Amino acid sequence: MEGCHDAGCDPSEIDAEDTLALVGCPNVGKSVVFGELAEQYVDVSNYPGTTVDTTLAEFGDYTLTDTPGVYGISSFSEEERVTRDIVLETDAVINVVDATHLDRDLFLTLQLLDMGIPTVVALNMMDEAEADGIDIDVEALEAALGVPVVTTVAIDGEGFDELRKRVPEATAPEQTAIDEFYDELPEQLEADRPEKTLLVEGDEELPTAFDVGGVMADGGSPALVESGLREEIYSQRRSRVQSIADSVQTVTRTDDSIAERVSDLMINPLTGTPIALALLGLIYYFIGDLVAQRLVDTLEGELLGPHYIPAVESFVAGLLPDVAWLEPLEFLLINDNLGLLTVTVQYVIGTLLPLVVAFYLAISVLEDSGVLPRLAVLTDRGLNRIGLNGRAVVPMIVGVGCVTMAVITTRMVGSKRERTISTALLGLAVPCSAQLGVIMGLMAGLGLIYWFGYLGILLVVLGVVGVFLDRTLPGQSESLVTELPRMRAPRPGNILRKTYNRAKMFLREAIPLFAGTAVVVSVLDYVGGLAAIKDGLRPLTALVGMPADFGQILVLGLIRRDFAAAGMTDMALSSAQVFIGLVVITLFVPCILSMVMILKERDAKSAALMWLGSWVTAFTVGGVLAAAFGVFG
Amino acid sequence: MAEVLGDVDSGEFVRLADVPDGDTRARLLRLGFLDGTVECRHHIRKGPVIVRRNGTELALGADLADSIEIERPRPEASD
Repeated sequence: MEGCHDAGCDPSEIDAEDTLALVGCPNVGKSVVFGELAEQYVDVSNYPGTTVDTTLAEFGDYTLTDTPGVYGISSFSEEERVTRDIVLETDAVINVVDATHLDRDLFLTLQLLDMGIPTVVALNMMDEAEADGIDIDVEALEAALGVPVVTTVAIDGEGFDELRKRVPEATAPEQTAIDEFYDELPEQLEADRPEKTLLVEGDEELPTAFDVGGVMADGGSPALVESGLREEIYSQRRSRVQSIADSVQTVTRTDDSIAERVSDLMINPLTGTPIALALLGLIYYFIGDLVAQRLVDTLEGELLGPHYIPAVESFVAGLLPDVAWLEPLEFLLINDNLGLLTVTVQYVIGTLLPLVVAFYLAISVLEDSGVLPRLAVLTDRGLNRIGLNGRAVVPMIVGVGCVTMAVITTRMVGSKRERTISTALLGLAVPCSAQLGVIMGLMAGLGLIYWFGYLGILLVVLGVVGVFLDRTLPGQSESLVTELPRMRAPRPGNILRKTYNRAKMFLREAIPLFAGTAVVVSVLDYVGGLAAIKDGLRPLTALVGMPADFGQILVLGLIRRDFAAAGMTDMALSSAQVFIGLVVITLFVPCILSMVMILKERDAKSAALMWLGSWVTAFTVGGVLAAAFGVFG
Repeated sequence: MAEVLGDVDSGEFVRLADVPDGDTRARLLRLGFLDGTVECRHHIRKGPVIVRRNGTELALGADLADSIEIERPRPEASD
């Protein structure tokens, strides 16, 4: 596959007139189908105005779009809104249907056909259906739906020649059972069939405004159709689905599969908890130890530190004439704190890139194996107590590897309220692996009792702040509603493709943010702003029983968390002061990159409150500990 | 007082009769969980209830499960 991706081309370079979207429920193999069909890979990016990823590629005469997995088209979630908008614009769709879940997936198929979207059905996972004792009469299904149906086994590339051949046959029945409901809409409404379908189904966010008798009504406004129509339409569509599924498939009951037994073990708290702890340990070992410590240490300490940085410094020094007015520029480019060409590049390549790749590899494996929703089930009860549901376990796991990465994964926890709580807790009480490495080294000199004390304080802060946020933020947290997909061994090719796409997109967004931050910090450093900040922190360092030099640690902590912990190794401190200092720098604001990411993912007000809240919590807890230990700065 | 999904033990078959939240009802309807009887695969103590219908498994949080009224179908009515 010759990819223009490597050449960095953009979607506008696709020479295709028509658009084709891949639409299907979650975990039906859409991405694998996409990979098989894409002749020229183009771009992965957030859908405009959202945090949901979509991927574009060229396929024959079409621009092919991979949409997020959804069970139906409406506006129940950001994924659904994105899919709805793409479907309303596309010329045709390939509807990927899981042959083992025909009854579930045909709802979306019939909805697409009700909307009049030209459709070809790719009946995927035929191998698993056969193994499950499910026999599907494909010709009967094609006749019942009135559109082409092609059987595929995406992971083995089976059926794709036929699928490519039949895409131009994409069609939709001219009339379906939905027609009778269109009478419920105002006669003068000028909407096309897809819009009418969504309107009678009560879609609340159809962005088009319709002119109804001189009155502009938002599409889907309750005023357009009577309430309750959606349920009537959904019930009627479900009856049609049931009737088709019953007539085209024969199910011979098979014994519980190994995957099902593993799933049962994972869900049962008695067996699932040790399995989950072992998995988390494995992930921590991979991200937090192998990558964040060893690989990053090697890259930074043996490659970039001794070779790259001196080379760049001497290059810049040689390039810029030794004149006073160029000094600020030279400082900006190569200063030791956050030089644009030195430390910034060292972070991005030496720290960020390995962490990003490791993180996305681990998450992709957990996603593709079906482990994540089962972890959500196991932790739901505990997380409910702090206003979250089980889905919030993922950011917490990831946060111990890297808080910056974890902030992105808060997208999967549900409502805005839950995202805010989980982001605040991440920024406050979850130490990242880089920091944990140094902290563990310092704690080793203090003894086990301090280590347990440290963990206990973090858990208490996590619980208290979680309960506080749950009780003060407006609204109610959403209950857990999550499908448990079949557990299966992840496919390396799919894992690598996902990791590559996601890491590339992350870096494309993060690098400019990080570079901008580096410029601001360097300018502040050059004009003496950082030194002034250190002086201004004296009252706070005294409050937590630390010497004035601890201000320098706090400033370093603002830039990078492990810098702060590492800085403490050079200070002459008592055991109690080391302990208090470590608690304070853990609760203290997350690193600059995490803060930038919080600002990007949340609004400025929330980010500012989280920043301020971290300061207040860190120095309150530090002050209480200083008083308890009787230490004074 | 009506029985709720939160009262159902693992292995029992029930019909989800009343789901108070409109959006959740629509989501369950789409997935076929309101079409007939569902199997309670697991009920984690004070935690989520996992229900299954036609091979699709869905985990519902404890609060939600406690708000969903159920009916116990007679054996001949189950499908």
